[in-house]
Amino acid sequence: MKDFDLESLSREMPYRMPEHFLDDMTERVVAQIGKQRKHRVERRIVALFASAASVAAVALLFLHPFGGGFDIPDYESISQCASVDEVLQNMTADELGVYSMMSNYYGN
Amino acid sequence: MNSQGSLSVSDESIARLLCDDNHVEEAVRLIMKKYGEPLYWHIRRMVVAHDDAEDCLQETMINVYKYRSTYSNEYPLSSWLYKIATNESLKLLKNRSGFTMSVDDLGDSLKDSVREEASPDADETLILLQEAIALLPAKQKMVFNLRYYDDKSYEEIHQIVGDSVNTLKTNYHYAVQKIKDYILEHQL
Repeated sequence: MKDFDLESLSREMPYRMPEHFLDDMTERVVAQIGKQRKHRVERRIVALFASAASVAAVALLFLHPFGGGFDIPDYESISQCASVDEVLQNMTADELGVYSMMSNYYGN
Repeated sequence: MNSQGSLSVSDESIARLLCDDNHVEEAVRLIMKKYGEPLYWHIRRMVVAHDDAEDCLQETMINVYKYRSTYSNEYPLSSWLYKIATNESLKLLKNRSGFTMSVDDLGDSLKDSVREEASPDADETLILLQEAIALLPAKQKMVFNLRYYDDKSYEEIHQIVGDSVNTLKTNYHYAVQKIKDYILEHQL
């Protein structure tokens, strides 16, 4: 039976690789990786904002009036405020002038 | 085909750059420069058509980027790259074969592609050799190509394909026998 020496054959391929194929491929791959990295960074930023928003939401819950966090002035503290007449009495002549001008302007 | 150019950057340096987010693109360029050509031919010998080899090589490089954290320097970088390229080639062939056929059933259609893809001035014996390789079962084809064209040792082929060295030797032996028979049968 005939034999055939495989080792005697050339290792060449019967096909061709298009010119500049590998250079073009390198640029395409690098561009695609760049896009994926950008998306990854964007996703991280979105995740960061989402986490920050969650923290802010939780903090707001603690500060909510029903959560007891808001400092609402009670009736006593409002009644302790100076009356308008008292303020007017303590104003200088210039301040009174401005006050009367503003009152006329707003129809008060 | 096995030329890795005159690039002297070591695989260790490339692997280090690959794991560094700031240098990953540089690493990919170096891999393409050093291994782009052998990987392309390894894939092309599996899938035959240039367009398919192009898709597979691109996917291979994207996977190199995506899964770079899984690379372990216990194995040579080249084995890891060949493994990814081999898996991409098999994936493409699996998609081509569909649910009803296995990759090994694609032999005849791959064999027909060999002649379509061959250069007009290609040596007839080289075309016959590629036809014979196209008809081999996928495992035998991988082992034969890695040993015959890429001069890989059985240990390296084991790192890429995963089978034991003895199984690989058996696969190679059967592949050589089938190729010889095919060429003797078809040679004018």
